[in-house]
Amino acid sequence: MRIVKSTQTKLCVDGSLMKEYVLDTPLSEEFLEFLEQFGTVRYLEGMKKPYFSFEKEHFVSIRGFAGDTVVEVRYKKVGQDLVMDYFHLLLFYEREGEEGARKLKGIEESIREKMKVRLRTPAGNSP
Amino acid sequence: MESETPVIYINNAATTWPKPPEVLEEVARSLQLPVHEAGRTTVTGSTDYPAVTREALSAFFHAGPPEHFVFTQNATDALNLLIHGFAKKAGAPFHVVTTELEHNSVLRPLSALQDDGTISLSIVPFTDNRVSLAAIKSALRPETRLVVMTHGSNVLGSVQDLKPIAEYLAANDIFLIADGAQTAGHIPVDLTDIPAGAYVFTGHKALFGIAGTGGFFIRDPGAVAVTRQGGTGTDSRALTQPVTMPERFETGTHNSTGIASLYAGLRFISSAGIGAIERHGRDLTSLFLRETGNIPGITIYNRHPDLPVVAFNLRGLENAEAGFILARAYNVITRTGLHCAPLVHERIDGGNGCIRASFSYLNTKEQIRAAAAAVREVAESADR
Repeated sequence: MRIVKSTQTKLCVDGSLMKEYVLDTPLSEEFLEFLEQFGTVRYLEGMKKPYFSFEKEHFVSIRGFAGDTVVEVRYKKVGQDLVMDYFHLLLFYEREGEEGARKLKGIEESIREKMKVRLRTPAGNSP
Repeated sequence: MESETPVIYINNAATTWPKPPEVLEEVARSLQLPVHEAGRTTVTGSTDYPAVTREALSAFFHAGPPEHFVFTQNATDALNLLIHGFAKKAGAPFHVVTTELEHNSVLRPLSALQDDGTISLSIVPFTDNRVSLAAIKSALRPETRLVVMTHGSNVLGSVQDLKPIAEYLAANDIFLIADGAQTAGHIPVDLTDIPAGAYVFTGHKALFGIAGTGGFFIRDPGAVAVTRQGGTGTDSRALTQPVTMPERFETGTHNSTGIASLYAGLRFISSAGIGAIERHGRDLTSLFLRETGNIPGITIYNRHPDLPVVAFNLRGLENAEAGFILARAYNVITRTGLHCAPLVHERIDGGNGCIRASFSYLNTKEQIRAAAAAVREVAESADR
């Protein structure tokens, strides 16, 4: 899956930044399974389309519909600049399977360390 | 988004859509000839939209003279002009009363004045979705010079009984700025009956104009100082702003096309009848409440709104999530979040926000039934 278009929609109520991505192929089950290794994935069925959401504290929220090409990603305020590539990284490393998951977890750890430093400093509370 | 599913737009408290065909036609007509410039050489047949729209506003709100209707970009712009102009005129620090129901278009200008020491501010709480005269009275002080309050809540859909409040404040020489952004076009507003110092309206909501239109009526223009200066096309030798109305507050080129849309919107309302519009809004709101009221897990924040506005949340879903699903899977367009009224949300939902469904005269009962069915399906899926 590749991003063919992205639109920065708005700054949300809580200061998150929202982006809408259009992918070249619909969201696959494999990608949703890959997501489960990195945060909480929730599925809701019984609606017109099967809905999913992905929640990763301090990083991103992702929401969309299985089989759809449009995804909405919300970048959390606290470390917005640190996680702005996170959705791209998910798409990139998903292609590499287990090896990709391992690499991405390493990158995540380094982002988390930077966040910790930032949260410890008063200025870091408003990135 | 499924293109085969027709859009059900129930976000009309933000901006009405669609606009009546007459509005679209007037917008096109307004661009077919050069802009009319009052008092200057102009093309035969062009319409002086600001002048005719002022007349229409004067008739619609039962207030005059028409020149006391001032055009602005929107209600927020009007409120800024009035609030900052009133503060400038006052000269010395004074006390202001406002309410928890307010939009940020009121709260932010007042906060800015509070921060720079120009005013002290009291915020009156609402009870049973409304702010009463008694609540306003209890907040008044000897140094209170200004009350700024909404006529209709954009979240709870409650209409404040402005008449006794305006009368009491007028009798006590306290200037009232009433924010009619949510009421104008939904319910009859008779300003002969409501002696507010100023009444603010917006064009792009229930008055069916396009975005970029709004304004206010001011009873005594001298109560508010001029905060903007510039070309008016009148008294051009003078380097000071004219004191005559509406030039006192209107400067620069008008949004002629926008005002043309407002003119057509007012004519549309007049032809449909404000009573019929109000009844239709109530019917749609009752229908939506009937169809959604018993959904397991739904919280409706005002089950008896005066305006066609229903604020709610669904158990198991964040409001933004519910709005996303309704829009993407069902083509039902609502508004989610804080609706720029953070103090209301602190009271009703812990400051997390809600989903708002808001209807227009151009919504149909079929649309409302379909929207309610979508809300039910989403709620039931989330609540499993």
